[in-house]
Amino acid sequence: MSATTMTPVRPAPGTPNYHRRKQIGAILLYLLTIAIMIVIAFPMYWLITTSFKVPADATANPPVIIPTRFTLDNYVNAFKTAGVSRAFVNSIVVALASTFFTTILGSMAAYALAKSYLSYAIRRGLMIWILVTRIFPPVTTAIPYYVIVRNLHLGDTHTALIITYVAYGLPFVIWLMLGFFQDMPPEIEKAAIVDGCSFWQRFRRVILPLALPGLAVTSIFAFIYSWNELLYASMLTSFNAKTIPVVVSGFISDQFLRWGEMTAIGTLMVIPVLIFAAGAQRYLVRGLTFGAVKG
Amino acid sequence: MTAITPEITQAQSPPPVLKQSHRGEKIGSAIFLAPAVAFLLLTSVYPLIYSLWLSFHSWNMTIPNSQPVWIGTRNYERLWDDPDFWNSVQVTLIFVLVAVTVEFIFGMGLALLATSRIRAMGWIRTIMLFPLMLAPVVAGVLWRTLFQSSYGVINWAIGLVGIPAQEWLGSPSQALPAVIAVEVWQNLPVVTFILAAGIQSLPLDLYKAAQVDGASSWQIFRRITLPLLKPVILVLLLLRIMDAFKVFDIVFTMTYGGPGQTTELMSMLIYKTGFKFFQVGQASAMSWVFLVAIFIISLFFIWRLDKE
Repeated sequence: MSATTMTPVRPAPGTPNYHRRKQIGAILLYLLTIAIMIVIAFPMYWLITTSFKVPADATANPPVIIPTRFTLDNYVNAFKTAGVSRAFVNSIVVALASTFFTTILGSMAAYALAKSYLSYAIRRGLMIWILVTRIFPPVTTAIPYYVIVRNLHLGDTHTALIITYVAYGLPFVIWLMLGFFQDMPPEIEKAAIVDGCSFWQRFRRVILPLALPGLAVTSIFAFIYSWNELLYASMLTSFNAKTIPVVVSGFISDQFLRWGEMTAIGTLMVIPVLIFAAGAQRYLVRGLTFGAVKG
Repeated sequence: MTAITPEITQAQSPPPVLKQSHRGEKIGSAIFLAPAVAFLLLTSVYPLIYSLWLSFHSWNMTIPNSQPVWIGTRNYERLWDDPDFWNSVQVTLIFVLVAVTVEFIFGMGLALLATSRIRAMGWIRTIMLFPLMLAPVVAGVLWRTLFQSSYGVINWAIGLVGIPAQEWLGSPSQALPAVIAVEVWQNLPVVTFILAAGIQSLPLDLYKAAQVDGASSWQIFRRITLPLLKPVILVLLLLRIMDAFKVFDIVFTMTYGGPGQTTELMSMLIYKTGFKFFQVGQASAMSWVFLVAIFIISLFFIWRLDKE
């Protein structure tokens, strides 16, 4: 063998060996990614398939990963259970109402904060205060809140839950809408002012219609928050205003007996979120970071 | 606060046309702000002050017509000697630190992968939406059954590679890691999406220059990506740490703080003290210690952000 064909100890770019090493690395990377994706996706797959399994398959050992027998009984039985259909109605009413009020009040406040008619100190102070309310864990105000609601005789009512969710959604909506309002070119506002629009007219007829995509996204996040919330719902409701998350957490006590029904309810709970998430994909990052990173 | 607050600048003075109606604008702004501010005062400030007041009282709210009794700082003194409280502090710190660290490492890896040459990116994105779509309460109940020791899927899966079945949620040493794993599972997509968005917004020419200079992938990551991404990383860590302190649903559904008190996060302990043992004053004192601690931690991050 002549010296010219000798390969260096470390394969250099362009040699066959170098490519093989790169290929092996890439394959390993793909395999690892696939493994992680399976773990990430599996619970959702398991939830949906289990909701259609016959009882024998649902709790079989070894587990039935790919079911061959399907049934709708779990859904039928779930709705036969006392309180489940009422809980769905409660959840829908509470989530829609709180989303509506949060979005309206929040975008009004955000508009006032985005425009600089108030002094810088006031706006900055308000924004920091709003941020701080978002930092506190909900459980820290749970006890006084419970006592207040009880004293007002609002326990187990939709009103109490709606007020709670509006309060928790507001900081989020204000921050997100603030970003959307600030992204708008100031010329639009100026033109409206020249045309003689009042503050309210400008907001109602010019700014709000333009901010509609932002408003839609923000309301989706507000909706999902109210739809999923467990702590305050379990604390403030007992029977009449009980929401779906409370029903789901109640399945723990007899989880293994009614596994199919629980997954049926869980699957139904995903549907509105799924529809909304598909629509809001583009703005996902902005929503998840509270508006701090523009996705 | 620059990175975390949408820009508010003093330079943005109202346009000149406004001069004559400036008063009207101010009044309009105030009216627009008033409902939200009033709402927040009533629902977050008032309960907080009430909670502070309660923390200096002893009160069992289940006894009809009973009144809170002033006991000074005794609730706080009792916390100092309370082993349950210190256990919970420890569990909470481990939970938050481990969960956020693991989320960050895996999230960074996936974000780098997602922004590099990999195909099927659309698929990865869609799959990563799944954990976000499940309500935490559903996720908790679901994982509880996956971790189930006699016929749970996880024990079956590790059995395939020859690992004996584990107790998981029934074991004092495995319950906390299991709960942390579920927290990581649910929030890894958030971290990945944010980091990927951050990486995509970095200037491309720097990378090209580095490649021309023959920098290795690690050098590019260490010397370009990481420093440029610092503000995003700080915001992300602040948000994730604050959210990890709030976790309640998955612990409530998976372990209820057990076995023993090995997974009793502070939120769980406050909940139990207030709503299971009805020691309202004690729970309020815990809440305030918790609040102050979280406040100090977030101030640290905000201060770091301000420096950037």
